[in-house]
Amino acid sequence: MTELRDTNRAMFWRIVRRLLGANRGRLVVMLLALGAGGAVTAALLNLQVDAKRRLTTEFRTFGPNIIVAPRENSVHGGSPETLDESLLRRIPQEWYQRGIKVVPLLYLVAEAYKTGSDRRVPLVVAGKGGSTMHVGVNGPPFESLISCDVGTRVAAEMQLRPQEKLILQTRVREQPCNFNPTSATGGPEDDQVIVAMGAAQDLAALPGRAGMIELTVPGTPQEITNCIATLRQLFPDADVRPIRQFTEGEAKIYNRINGVLTATIAVVLVLTAFCVMAAMTNVAIERKMDVGLMKAIGGATRRVVRLFLAEAALLGLGGGLIGAALGILLSIGLGKAVFGVAARPRLIVYPVAVGLTMLVAILSAFPLRRLASIRPASVFRGEA
Amino acid sequence: MFFRLVGDSFGRRPRHKLLTGAALALGMGVATAALSVALDVGDRLAREFRSLGANLVVTPKADSLPLEIGGVDYRPVNAGAYLPEADLPKLKTIFWHNNIMGFAPILEVPVQSWTPASQTAFAPKINNETTLIGTWARHAVAVPDGGTFLTGAEKTNPWWQVDGQWFAEGNLECVVGQNLARKSQLRAGDIVNVSPKENSSPAVALEVTGILSTGGVEDEAIVAPLSVAQRLAGKPGEYRKLYVSALTKPEDAFAKRDTKTFTPAEYDRWFCTPYISSIAFQIQQELPGTEVRVIRRVAEGEGQILSRVQMLLWLVTLAAMLAAALAVGASSAASVIERQVEIGLMKALGAGSGAVGFLLAAEQLLLAFVGGGVGYALGIVLARWLGEKIFGAAPEPTLLVFLVVLGLAAVVTLLGSAIPLRRASRIEPAPILRGE
Repeated sequence: MTELRDTNRAMFWRIVRRLLGANRGRLVVMLLALGAGGAVTAALLNLQVDAKRRLTTEFRTFGPNIIVAPRENSVHGGSPETLDESLLRRIPQEWYQRGIKVVPLLYLVAEAYKTGSDRRVPLVVAGKGGSTMHVGVNGPPFESLISCDVGTRVAAEMQLRPQEKLILQTRVREQPCNFNPTSATGGPEDDQVIVAMGAAQDLAALPGRAGMIELTVPGTPQEITNCIATLRQLFPDADVRPIRQFTEGEAKIYNRINGVLTATIAVVLVLTAFCVMAAMTNVAIERKMDVGLMKAIGGATRRVVRLFLAEAALLGLGGGLIGAALGILLSIGLGKAVFGVAARPRLIVYPVAVGLTMLVAILSAFPLRRLASIRPASVFRGEA
Repeated sequence: MFFRLVGDSFGRRPRHKLLTGAALALGMGVATAALSVALDVGDRLAREFRSLGANLVVTPKADSLPLEIGGVDYRPVNAGAYLPEADLPKLKTIFWHNNIMGFAPILEVPVQSWTPASQTAFAPKINNETTLIGTWARHAVAVPDGGTFLTGAEKTNPWWQVDGQWFAEGNLECVVGQNLARKSQLRAGDIVNVSPKENSSPAVALEVTGILSTGGVEDEAIVAPLSVAQRLAGKPGEYRKLYVSALTKPEDAFAKRDTKTFTPAEYDRWFCTPYISSIAFQIQQELPGTEVRVIRRVAEGEGQILSRVQMLLWLVTLAAMLAAALAVGASSAASVIERQVEIGLMKALGAGSGAVGFLLAAEQLLLAFVGGGVGYALGIVLARWLGEKIFGAAPEPTLLVFLVVLGLAAVVTLLGSAIPLRRASRIEPAPILRGE
């Protein structure tokens, strides 16, 4: 009994092999159609996962999206309220690895003048801390000459020329600095002079204090909401709020883009599957002769159908393996073209794409069931 | 005879032709849908990006530097320059006036505010030092060429949410920032008195129509009609800052060049493209004495993301078209391969290779046009559905897509059949007819 089954099985595979090899042209055509489907499936799936992540990073060209500011009630003797810089230590270390940027800021009003000029211009000086994990509570020591980023409107107002020095003066101290021109931003920076945090703290006589902390958090709208919730727990005494202009706008736009991308890719995948299926069925229908012959020499309909299904599955596997590999390579290239960074290939995409290709191949062999009704005699007589 | 042969071929194997046609139609449907979406997505997303608000800011050229920290301007009211409100309708006369989605003038006045309720015999009145922001909420601007244009903070700052109602233009009404409202226990319907801090204009009693939440400095301020702010500041018909929200085309390398280096032709091209820099330039021409600056934070992020998404969709489209082309090509190749017997017979009856090739190609082309047409219709329906689902607006079907799809269908079927056709032309009739 087992022997017979073994022989049967050997015969089965032998026929499948012959079916595949019988017509080289047809084999190439089928592999081409299936491979193309597999390649597109793999490329689009991989790209879709990657593009979403990249887009959230792209959104950070808008700059910071969360602000931690002192709560309005915590009054500090009349002057604008400030936060202790050591609060920054509460931010978990792994956040920095996730690409979250944290910048403490301190604003103050100072008068600026050029050396050798009497004209004093009142302006806003912004102290900006580096986005680092190492926060000096006391700030860097006072330096005699620092570099400052001067907003375009300030530079125009003061008629500053390159390499000129300007002096910032407050009630407590004078700070000479080197003029470092910036390009126009259209924001408040155009009207400000930006210096290092330590220098601003010295000018304001507020050592170790920050006016607010700006965070740049990449991620989906959901991740940003979670981040705000965590920050509220970390800083119970401060006011943590999203910059709604950007968080809300972004959420809307992200959802739209996500929708377009997902829907387009879904439509493309479904239609491609149908297209491949139609092409495959077209080829399969031509197999009347084969079916007629098999039935004539005593093949049961079940076995004949099983033969063709095995053939289709093998074709799907072959086409899928080649196509999906090509598709993943393609998506790496596409990712590089769009985002400048190669898309990271996701291994899960490969088996999924191969599986889908096989599924399409098997489904497209199903019309062969109709061949069960073929009468061998009429096939051999050449009747259609 | 030729047409009879073609007609015969279709009539004799209807299912076969139907399947090849279906593959074609589906493939071209993919191409149409993806193309339509990709063509349309830029405009639609650009509109979505306006939810980020204004991307241009207009300030007086001769203005002094603002001393603004945390929303409080430490600059005296009489310092700096102002701009005339009467000039604003001119914004809708620039070349790209249809791309101006909204604008809102701003005049800020440092004020003291108190509520009548807090003014009892025992308790001193709550005296808040705050800023009154005068602006338009929903203002009808008479456009010089007739008609009106509805604009205001609703358009330039769409993330501002009012719990209650916006104030009505011309009334003594205001909305109060949520933090200030909490501090002074103000609710919609209450009265708040404001008087300017720095001049002797009389105090004004404003009715609170809503509580404003913005997530920004406005949460600490009072927002009132521009006319109220002008009255308090003693600057009738003037404003200090104008926010403009404009639909733009992402800046490319060309737009980033210095306009001074342009040739006249390049200058015309720049002027007639809705780059943010050219719109800024046109506004500056219309409003003399102003400085128009691009809010880089908004404009650059927008440009970058828009071009990325567009490129991504183009690549998806390309991949889709490629897959469709391969599958369709394979299908037509198969249909030629399977017809060796027929070809052999035709040649045996005296048809030349050219005639056979021509006949088969004509058949394929006919199929391509029919399948392509059906596919186009299918794709348009799909693209409409997608557009409506995602953006609430369907993309317009364009002739361009139709032509591209038909052309693609023809090229793909012909290319797909080319190799088997060449092989077919080398067929020796005798072995085929013998059944070998």
